[in-house]
Amino acid sequence: MRQIAAAVAALVLLSLSALAFGRSPIELLQILVSGSIGSQFALEGTLLKSVPLLLTGLSVAVAFRAGVWNIGGEGQFIVGAIAAIMAARFGVIAALAASMLAGALWASIATSMRLWRNAPEVLTTILLNFIAIHLLGWCVNGPLQERGGQYPQTDAAAAALPQVGELHAGVLLAILASVATWFLLYRTMEGLRLRATGFNARAAKWAGIDVDRQLVRAMGISGALAGLAGGIELLGVTHRLFERFAAGYGYSGIAVALLAQLHPLATIASSIFFGALTTGAGELQRTAGISSNVATFGEAVVILILILFGSWRARD
Amino acid sequence: MLTLHAITKRFGDNVAVDDVTLEIRGGEILALVGENGAGKTTLMRIASGELAHDAGSIERGGAIGFVHQHFLLVSDFTIAENLALQRTWSFASLRKLEDQAEQIIAATGIELRGVSRRVEDLSVGEKSKLELIKAIAKKPRVLILDEPTSVLTPAESQELFAVMRRIASEGAAVVFISHKLPEVLEIAQRIVVMRGGRVVVDTKSMTAEELASAMVDAPVITSTTPMNNIRAIVGVAGNGQTELAERFRAEHPDAGLIPEDRTRDGIIAEMSIAENLALRTKIDAETLIGHYSIKARNAKQKAGSLSGGNQQKVILARELSRKPRMILAAEPTRGLDIEATAFVHEQLRAAASEGASILLITSDLDEAFALADSIQVIYRGALSEPMPPAVAREKVGALMAGLA
Repeated sequence: MRQIAAAVAALVLLSLSALAFGRSPIELLQILVSGSIGSQFALEGTLLKSVPLLLTGLSVAVAFRAGVWNIGGEGQFIVGAIAAIMAARFGVIAALAASMLAGALWASIATSMRLWRNAPEVLTTILLNFIAIHLLGWCVNGPLQERGGQYPQTDAAAAALPQVGELHAGVLLAILASVATWFLLYRTMEGLRLRATGFNARAAKWAGIDVDRQLVRAMGISGALAGLAGGIELLGVTHRLFERFAAGYGYSGIAVALLAQLHPLATIASSIFFGALTTGAGELQRTAGISSNVATFGEAVVILILILFGSWRARD
Repeated sequence: MLTLHAITKRFGDNVAVDDVTLEIRGGEILALVGENGAGKTTLMRIASGELAHDAGSIERGGAIGFVHQHFLLVSDFTIAENLALQRTWSFASLRKLEDQAEQIIAATGIELRGVSRRVEDLSVGEKSKLELIKAIAKKPRVLILDEPTSVLTPAESQELFAVMRRIASEGAAVVFISHKLPEVLEIAQRIVVMRGGRVVVDTKSMTAEELASAMVDAPVITSTTPMNNIRAIVGVAGNGQTELAERFRAEHPDAGLIPEDRTRDGIIAEMSIAENLALRTKIDAETLIGHYSIKARNAKQKAGSLSGGNQQKVILARELSRKPRMILAAEPTRGLDIEATAFVHEQLRAAASEGASILLITSDLDEAFALADSIQVIYRGALSEPMPPAVAREKVGALMAGLA
């Protein structure tokens, strides 16, 4: 209930911000709704935006459930896409597998630093994001730059996800991933151990759980999901890499997961909400001249409201 | 000094305190006894103003000091820094804080050295001393102690009793919440027994048998015959018991493990009873709840919402139902009431009689003598030779004090 209240409150605040532009809040809300779910075209746009958000949201949910603060979704998303474009000539399945592997490996750098020197992953993962962003910049200006060498971007990937109208097969993959994540967390011993470690690592240790191994696994799964998000975005939507490819999907995943209270199935609804917000905000920019940054504003408001009303709290 | 009149407190449908009237007078040591859930702590939290009451009135004649059963200390801070938190802030240097801390401690008559040590490095016994010092330093007119001896050795308990007597002789009232009957009989000038949220007895003198039967409806019989296969490690808290337990856990991950701090290391409060059990046993949760007589609405109830005794039963069910060959039981009855304590002892005896070897780490000597067939004393990290109980009875006191 609090989640829905937070989402509604965010929408209300967003509409009120229209006053600052000298426009009617009702008008803004109308554009937001019609631009995100008002037509088949808008709805497809929303779903396309929801896919990467769902996967990065799941990535965050798995990690946070295990008590691992993986803020590195953005970087894992990027390396996932880089790996996917490199592996695309072996086919789309190889490209998706490569994206998951790359995301997991990138995340495991933070895990290794945690195990080796107890470096907090909340810092290392965020710093690895910056490295990944610059790695991408170097790739699209250097080794992976398009054959013409004109723009800082790659050629189109050698493989693509099957298209269904305007949508692509990644939509199904993302839903499948959220069911699989739910099954893992709530229907397997492995999930029970992950959650136990997240709630109370000391008690988990006394219950015979190897908590270091849980850290490695949670981070690996989380990184793989974020990497897959990058792979699917590349193979289904953009088909090529460019400097601003990640567009904050990794960070938005945190908002998505928190609004869903870290529950994998609720993450589907939460990702659609944020997907709609982003798509609607795009429409606002086109028709009303209001910056699409209002979507980011909405995300921030949702998180703040959730924190203020205590439906999500840090592990003690 | 402190008068409670017709106090009632409900939590949902549950009446925790039911129309209680109690007058606490200066200079007296009052023992408030009763089973877990009898309403003792709730009543005292209301008295101190920590908790709001639903009906009734309170008259307070001065400041109230409350030493909680659980520690309220900043573990990253030193002893001196924790004591400094009591006061309104000043720009005192660290050196000055430490000098002041030593003065505060000296004034209480409690022995606690090394004020520059961090709280996380202190033993449980030392932490409870620090809590007591914090409370006394405020010069309260009423001092409430909630199960203060559950983590203390006999010698430390005596030290505490001396402090309590001195405070009472200076005119303040001391309220001592406990379910250790011998201690209650030793220290209290007045005994108030609570059961089911009501005061059932308020008396100046009472025998142990009368007290036990006033607390519970059914008489509790505890056997005192020691079992084979149980070795007890006794000692003053902070002499390496925690490290010993940690080492045992690391070396025998498959043993039945009952950790000393059940809320921190035992249960996972946010998860259900069924999930807590499933971490280590494949036996169905409903079966275990019945078999270990865990009082819960159902298996989906959060483990954190259970009473201390029932939390410990969940841990026993998880650890002992697997029939492990080795068992570590660290302070298995700390803070438990008579019935729950008897249940834990019964389960440990049953496991031993089925052939499990049990290492019992306890600061409760009565528990050690009631259960173990061999006793070792731990002092500054070193273990004495194992002794049969008859020999141990003569020597543990000296060994625990490091005199032998």
